[in-house]
Amino acid sequence: MSRSILITGANGGLGIGIATAFLEESPENHVWLGVRTNRSEADTLQAQHPERVRIIELNVTSPTSWALAIEVILATNQTIDVLVNNAGHHDDQLLAMMGDDAWQTVIDSNLTGTFNGCRAVARAMMGQRRGRIINIASLSALLSPPGQANYAAAKAGVIGLTQSFAKEVARAGVTVNAICPGYIDTPALSAMTPEQRQAATAKVPMRRLGKPEEVAAAVVFLATENAGYITGSVLKIDGGIF
Amino acid sequence: MDDLRQQIKDLMVNELMLQITAEEIGNETPIFSPEGLGLDSVDALQLVVALEKRFGLKLPDAETARNVLRSVDTIAAAVPAAA
Repeated sequence: MSRSILITGANGGLGIGIATAFLEESPENHVWLGVRTNRSEADTLQAQHPERVRIIELNVTSPTSWALAIEVILATNQTIDVLVNNAGHHDDQLLAMMGDDAWQTVIDSNLTGTFNGCRAVARAMMGQRRGRIINIASLSALLSPPGQANYAAAKAGVIGLTQSFAKEVARAGVTVNAICPGYIDTPALSAMTPEQRQAATAKVPMRRLGKPEEVAAAVVFLATENAGYITGSVLKIDGGIF
Repeated sequence: MDDLRQQIKDLMVNELMLQITAEEIGNETPIFSPEGLGLDSVDALQLVVALEKRFGLKLPDAETARNVLRSVDTIAAAVPAAA
């Protein structure tokens, strides 16, 4: 059965990993890569799978951008089957020194972006009586380190939103779940110094960083038919830290 | 009972997975009152989506929805003649 899958923040390591996993899962999966400014990785993936990958302009903090994107997807594929709210960023600072901008933009991209996305697909998925929403939160939501008051708050908010929304759409055959990745080896982590990287790795009982495929596999599973009784749940993928 | 009311009742039973049959829903039974079918706001949203999809019935705000969704009769009256 042909499925349309929208992944936001699709240009990052995790986004590309998730997109690749869906493409490999089935030849009937059509993937939409939601991107904003950066799109080089997305372009590369699209060139490799020209029939099944489309790039779509999407600013997750803008309701109109969402409405337009969903309209395009529905016009092209007739259904929107899976939404992966993966877009977000962090801007670390000790709270006492955190500026308004650092606070607000992190809340906007991570939490409000996820809210906007859920709202944009809700009616379509309920009308289909079928849908899968996977929200990428973070281990920070559960085990909040210093310097991430904004990010931890936003991601904890994503978990609350996930649990509440899941109950609202359950009867319509739509599941909504959250994933909390720990330290995953992506370009985003390259912002760390080698010492920070080593310190992070030392904290993990498995003594290694996670791979994007190891998060993507969980996303693909939650989107399957067999995962149909799992909703409002939080799955951490952290090598045992928490 | 006319066909439109039957269709609305069938839609309600199927979409909302009600534990009763269409025959047990009266035309004037209050849909959201505890004395009637006792449905909740989650059911209301699903009903709004299903009615729009099936009959093209648009309910732009909560106030309108509340009034239209009182009973099968009020829903039938609101369904566009062209649908």
